[in-house]
Amino acid sequence: MNDIGPIFRALTRNKLGALLIALQIALTLAIVTNAAFIIRERAENIVRPSGLDEENTAIFITNLFDSSVDQRQLYRDDLAALRVIPGVVAAAPTQSMPVSGSGWGEGLYNDPGMPSNESINFGNFMVDEHGLETFDLELVAGRNFRPEEITERSLADLSSPDILIVSQALADELFPDGDALGKTVWNEPNGEKPIQIIGIYDHMQSAWPTSDNVNNTALMPSLSLFGGQMMYAVRSEPGKLDEVMSKAEEYLSGNRSRIVETVRSFEEQKKRTYSGDIAMVKLLSAVIFTLTAVTGLGIVGLAWFSVTQRRKQIGTRRALGATRFDIVRYFMLENGLITTFGLVIGLAGSIGLNWFLDTQYEVGRVPLWYLPIGMLGLWLLGQLAVLLPARRAANIPPALATRSV
Amino acid sequence: MFKYYVRLAMDSIRRTPVLSTLMVMALGLGIGAFMTTFTVYYLMSGDPIPHKSSVLFAVQLDNWDPNEPPTESAADVQPQLTYRDGQNLMNADTPATLQAHMYATNAVVVPENDEPPFDEAIRATYQTFFEMFDVPFLYGQPWEDRDDEEHASVAVIGRELNDRLFNGENSVGRTIRLDDNFFKITGVIDDWQPMPRFYHADWSRAFEDTEQIFIPMSRAVDKPMGPSGNTNCWKPIDEDLPVLEAFLQSECVWTQFWAQLDTPEQAANYKDYLDNYVRDQKQIGRFERPLNTFLSNVQEWMEVNNVVKDDNRVLVRLSFLFLLVCVLNTVGLLLAKFLGKSGEVALRRAMGASRGAVFSQNLVEVGTIGVLGGIAGTGLAWLGLQAVASLYRGYQHLVHLDLVMLTAAIGLATLSAILAGLYPVWRVSRLAPAGLLKTQ
Repeated sequence: MNDIGPIFRALTRNKLGALLIALQIALTLAIVTNAAFIIRERAENIVRPSGLDEENTAIFITNLFDSSVDQRQLYRDDLAALRVIPGVVAAAPTQSMPVSGSGWGEGLYNDPGMPSNESINFGNFMVDEHGLETFDLELVAGRNFRPEEITERSLADLSSPDILIVSQALADELFPDGDALGKTVWNEPNGEKPIQIIGIYDHMQSAWPTSDNVNNTALMPSLSLFGGQMMYAVRSEPGKLDEVMSKAEEYLSGNRSRIVETVRSFEEQKKRTYSGDIAMVKLLSAVIFTLTAVTGLGIVGLAWFSVTQRRKQIGTRRALGATRFDIVRYFMLENGLITTFGLVIGLAGSIGLNWFLDTQYEVGRVPLWYLPIGMLGLWLLGQLAVLLPARRAANIPPALATRSV
Repeated sequence: MFKYYVRLAMDSIRRTPVLSTLMVMALGLGIGAFMTTFTVYYLMSGDPIPHKSSVLFAVQLDNWDPNEPPTESAADVQPQLTYRDGQNLMNADTPATLQAHMYATNAVVVPENDEPPFDEAIRATYQTFFEMFDVPFLYGQPWEDRDDEEHASVAVIGRELNDRLFNGENSVGRTIRLDDNFFKITGVIDDWQPMPRFYHADWSRAFEDTEQIFIPMSRAVDKPMGPSGNTNCWKPIDEDLPVLEAFLQSECVWTQFWAQLDTPEQAANYKDYLDNYVRDQKQIGRFERPLNTFLSNVQEWMEVNNVVKDDNRVLVRLSFLFLLVCVLNTVGLLLAKFLGKSGEVALRRAMGASRGAVFSQNLVEVGTIGVLGGIAGTGLAWLGLQAVASLYRGYQHLVHLDLVMLTAAIGLATLSAILAGLYPVWRVSRLAPAGLLKTQ
C-alpha cells in the first residue's frame, strides 16, 4: 500500500491521460446502469404470463368476402372441422386475442349511479363454451357457458349477452370484498344493460399489454358477425402445434369464398406485439457489450503504451530489487486509483442521466442497488484490462536499466 | 505537400498497428451506433410533404364525455372525429381552400384471372384528397366531385396494385372487385409514400404503407365497410335507430379530417368557423365540454401523435454518449501515440520543420484516422440499420442511408477525430526539440 504515494505523484504528472480514462469510465458507468435498467424493465414486461398455453396456441384469421355464404353455418362447420384435427385440445371462435394489440374494450359499472368516466374498463373476448379451455383458463368459481347461451352480435343486433365470466383481477376491482360471483353489473350507466357474473377464471391478459388494466378481461358468450372477419383460437397438445397449424390452414383455405389472412402461433404474435421492447433489449444489450469492449480495450491500449514508455524505469526498479509482483501491483494500483476516481464521477453521472431520462422520457428510476453492481463490474473490467500489459511490464529484464535503449 | 502528409500518416498508422486499429475501431463503433439511431430519428421526424406542410391542418373537435376532466392541449383530445361532424364540415361552405374527410378500411380484392384473392387496406375519402396532398398520378385522374355526391362505385388504385392486377398497363376504365362489389378505376397513382404517413398517424400507424386503393367515402359507408383503424366511443349508441344509422350518428370517433388553409387569416377564419360550429352543436345538446377545437399543421400533428417515440429519443441520447466515450477513448490513445512520437517530431523540428508544419502534418494523420473511422462507421451503421429493420415491424421505409447521411457520417467521424486530436497534436507541436534529441 505504500506504493500509492509515488503512483499518485506520477499520475499528477500526466493528469490529462488519467482524467481521460476516468471520464471514460464515468460515462460508461452512467450508460451501462441506465441501459441495464431499461433492459430489465422491458424484459420483465415481456415475460409476464398471458394466461394462455403460450407454446401450444395458434391464431387463425379468415375473411369471408362472398356475402351469399351463411356465416353462422360456416362458423359451425369450421369449428366442427377444427376440433377433430388430431392433436387439437380445443378450438373457439373469438374476435380478439390477448397480447395482439387489437381488440374490443368495454366498461362495466358496479353501481347504476356511477358516472360514465368511472366505469371499470376491461378487454372483452367473445367466445363460445370452448373459450375457457382454448385459452387454458382455470375456473376458480362459478360455471362455464352452456351451448344454448351463446348469442350473436352483429350490425343488426349489437346487444351484449346478459352473462359473462370475468378474470380474478376484474372481479376484485368490481367487488373488492371478493363476492363478485353471481353479482349483477351494468354495461352502460344509469343501470342500463345488466349483466350477471356467472364465473371467475384465474388470469388472462387483454389485447393491450401496455394498458394499466391489462389483467382486466372477461369472456362473453357470443359469436361476432361484424363483416366477413372470422377468427379462431386453437390449442394443441404439447409439441403438436406445427402439425395442427398446417392441417387447420389446409382446411380453412379449402373454402374459396374466403381468404386465410393470418395463421400465426401465439408466441409469434407475442413477439410481434413486443417487437419494440424486444428491439430495445437487443439494441441496448449491444450498446452495453460494445461500450464495455471499447472502454476495456482503450485501457489495454493505454496501459500497453505506458509500459512501452516506461521500459527503462521499470528495468531500473527491477534492478533495484523490485519483484515482478511489485511491478504488476504498481500498474494494477495505478489503474485502481484512476478507475475509482472515474467511478465516483460516474456515480453522479448515472444518477444525473437517469434523472434526465426519467423526467424527459419516463423511463423510471434506476434502483440504487444497480450502482454498486455496475461499479464493481467496471472496476473488475479495469483490473482485468490492465493485467495483460502489467504482466508484460513484469517481464522486462532488470538488465535493461544498464543499457541506454 | 498534402499528399506527402497523407503518406507520412499512413506510414505512422502502419507503424503502430494495434493503437491505430483500436482508434479506428472505437471511432467506427461510436459513429456506427450514433448514425444508426440518428438515421431512424431523422427519417421519423422528417417533413412528409415539405412544400405544403405548413398549410395542411388536421382538425380536432372535443366531443368527449362531459364527466372527463377538461383538456387543454391537442394531445389530450381525441385525434379522430365523429362521422357526423366530418360530414357536416364537408357539406358546409367553410373558409378552407380544400377539405377531406377520410377513414381506413379494408376489403378482399378478387382478381379477374385465377390468382388467389387477397386482403388490401383501403382509404375511403373524397376526391379533394388527391389535390390537397399532391398525389402524383400515373394514369387518369381522381374521381369527379359528383361521384362523391352520388356514392359512385369508382376507385383510384396504386401503382403496385396496378402492376399486380393489370401488369402495369393503363387500367383506367377497367374494374376492380372488392369483396363482392365492382368499382370502376378512374386513375392510377404513382409510387407515393409520405414518410411519416401524416394523414393517419394516430396509434403508431404513421409508418404504415400508403393504401393501394382509394374509394369515395360515401360509397364505403353505404356498403357498409367498417373502419379498420381505431374506433373509440364514450356514449352508448341510439338503440331506436337501425345499427348502422345509429353508429353514423353516434359520438364514436373513427374518421380523420384535413383542411388546406393557405394564409394565417384563412386559418384564423377557419378556426372561428369551427368554434361557431361547435357552439351551434351545443344548442342541440352535443359538445357538453368546454369549447375546445384544434388545428395542427403537419409538423405539429406529428408531435401531437408522438410519431417519434420516446424510445427513439432515448436511443439517440445514449448512442451520443457512447460516441462521446469513443471520442474520449481516441483522445487518450492519440495523446499516447503522439507523445510516443516525440523523438521523431523533435528530429523533424531540428531539421527545420516549423511548429505549423508539424501541427498540420499531425492533423492530417488524425484526419486520416477519422476518415478511416468514418468509413468503418458507415459500414457499421448500415449493418445497424439492417438490424433495426429486422427488429421493428414497419420500419422498412426508415432504414435507408441516403447521400446526406453518408456524407454526414464521414464528416462527423473526421470532425470527431480532429476534435479528439487537436489537443494531442497541439501538445506535440509545442515540444522543444533540443531536450528530446539529447536523450536519444
